[in-house]
Amino acid sequence: MAKLYVQTAPPPDLNKNTEWFMYPGVWTTYILILFFSWLIVLSVFGCTPGMAWTVVNLFHFAVTYHFFHWKKGTPFAEDQGIYNTLTWWEQMDNGKQLTRNRKFLTVVPVVLYLIASHTTDYQHPMLFLNTLAVFVLVVAKFPNMHKVRIFGINAGS
Amino acid sequence: MVRLPYTTALTTLFSYGLLFAFGQLRDLFRKLLDWFRSKDLKGYAPICLGLEDFYVRRLYLRIQDCFGRPIASAPDAWIDVVERYSNDNNKTLHRTSNSTKCLNLGSYNYLGFAAADEYCTPRVIESLKKYSPSTCSVRVDGGTTQLHAELEELVARFVGKPAAVLFGMGYVTNSAIIPCLIGKGGLLISDSLNHNSIVNGARGSGATVRVFQHNSPSHLEEVLREQIAEGQPRTHRPWKKIIVIVEGIYSMEGELCKLPEIIAVCKKYKAYTYLDEAHSIGAIGKSGRGVCELLGVDPADVDIMMGTFTKSFGSCGGYIAASKEIIQYLKYTCPAHLYATSMSPPAVQQVISAIKVILGEDGSNRGAQKLARIRENSNFFRSELQKMGFEVLGDNDSPVMPIMLYNPAKIPAFSRECLRQNVAVVTVAFPATPLLLARARICISAAHTREDMIKGLEVISKVGDLVGIKYFPTEPPKLAKEAHKKRESSIVAERFCGCDIIGV
Repeated sequence: MAKLYVQTAPPPDLNKNTEWFMYPGVWTTYILILFFSWLIVLSVFGCTPGMAWTVVNLFHFAVTYHFFHWKKGTPFAEDQGIYNTLTWWEQMDNGKQLTRNRKFLTVVPVVLYLIASHTTDYQHPMLFLNTLAVFVLVVAKFPNMHKVRIFGINAGS
Repeated sequence: MVRLPYTTALTTLFSYGLLFAFGQLRDLFRKLLDWFRSKDLKGYAPICLGLEDFYVRRLYLRIQDCFGRPIASAPDAWIDVVERYSNDNNKTLHRTSNSTKCLNLGSYNYLGFAAADEYCTPRVIESLKKYSPSTCSVRVDGGTTQLHAELEELVARFVGKPAAVLFGMGYVTNSAIIPCLIGKGGLLISDSLNHNSIVNGARGSGATVRVFQHNSPSHLEEVLREQIAEGQPRTHRPWKKIIVIVEGIYSMEGELCKLPEIIAVCKKYKAYTYLDEAHSIGAIGKSGRGVCELLGVDPADVDIMMGTFTKSFGSCGGYIAASKEIIQYLKYTCPAHLYATSMSPPAVQQVISAIKVILGEDGSNRGAQKLARIRENSNFFRSELQKMGFEVLGDNDSPVMPIMLYNPAKIPAFSRECLRQNVAVVTVAFPATPLLLARARICISAAHTREDMIKGLEVISKVGDLVGIKYFPTEPPKLAKEAHKKRESSIVAERFCGCDIIGV
């Protein structure tokens, strides 16, 4: 079986916090992590597949909202704090909107929502929570929300 | 261009995700445990904001024993590495008084001048007695000795430019000169993998900085056209000047710069060129004059040539070589010349003697021998490593060869296991390299004998098997040619985000 190789040149992105997202294999890793966490939730809680997808969706909501849209700056000091007012989402691709990576990251919560709501047969408390999750995530990723802080929440450094 | 198996890319991303998750979990527990402890800052602001030191605390400190190892001898082909131990899982390290003699594959000792040399060392000791270790003065006050003047002329002659100026530190040469050459209203276009000293100098200058894709003259042309057409940001006035900064050998890739094409592009659009030859001066080229000689570029075509004395000449400091007018201007304006202590006289003498040996002016042909030996050594080592199946970067003739590790766990594994077998290698991770492309960087020297290199290769091969970094199929020596053809046809292109399609 031939080993699959990928070739990559380092992307000319100066922001080391976001340039790792431009390497091959990132999208696949993201999807595989979601899939394996669904399997883990199923085996640990022993619940129905729909419940497991809801748990994964909500956990995904919490984690991605916190790290993409809440935490600002970079986890290292080499860039001397030039990104200290920008969240990870706003730093992505140097602030350019509607790139391939951004479109992919916007589609993932929607697909998760569809899977979670379908497998729970659109029943009540799960549907409400799932809808809330996808609504907040997708709105946060709109191009018009770039650098917008509603009511000044999270505007401080 | 690096080639890696797809599964390696996936596992590397996953491992970094796991390390990040664990780091965040530990931070969360630390915050909970410290919730009730009083944070009495007495009105001062905290030193680190939020996440700023996350990488250092949670990732770097875990493998701290692989970096910054103290040494106890001159960095020759064999080096004494001081042993250290830690009682709290690498948070603090303590030195012992033992040291182990290891094969030195990490020092920038390209021509072997780092240890005592039969021509250089007696002269250095003489100059130490005559001029003392420090001039205790800046260049403009009382710090210019005869040696400094002699070295400036010698460097200019060696490199092929009309004049040169010296500085006490290589890093400072870049970060203090670039602000003198360009200011607000100018444009700096630098290669995306340029050294931190250039990045610092560019940030300090106040000019607009743009980056072009590593070593690609076509992208440089694109960036130049776009920027010249747009002009300065907001006012759209024409740029006051444009300087393109490239390096001779990129220290993390071992690649040579595509100098002739880049110079042609710069001449077409009338941009100035600045060549940083920190790693290539003295180490490549038929007579050691660097990347210009190797690639057949006339030094008069490069506007400013910068280099350091730390790599091939076994000393410390840096130089800038350019036309007489530029050097005179720099001597009046550069703060590193006006306010920094001048280079130490024995260090200057070491460089003078080293250059004389390289040029053959000491009366022997040791210089030519060293240059031939380093070329042979680099090519031998690189081809052997590639035959073993490692992913080795860098062009032929370049003495720097990074071996790709990728996975974050392999960095300490490779480093510690090699040290256990008495080979000292330097591993480089983020932020000196991109996040996913961690590597072990080997620097070959003219002081390495064939036996040293064979021992090094054996150890690296054994450790490579243990750690699992032989990403390519190994070539059995007889069937080398056929296996090479088979490997080429088994490379498949992947069309996920950002990576290129490879033609078969």
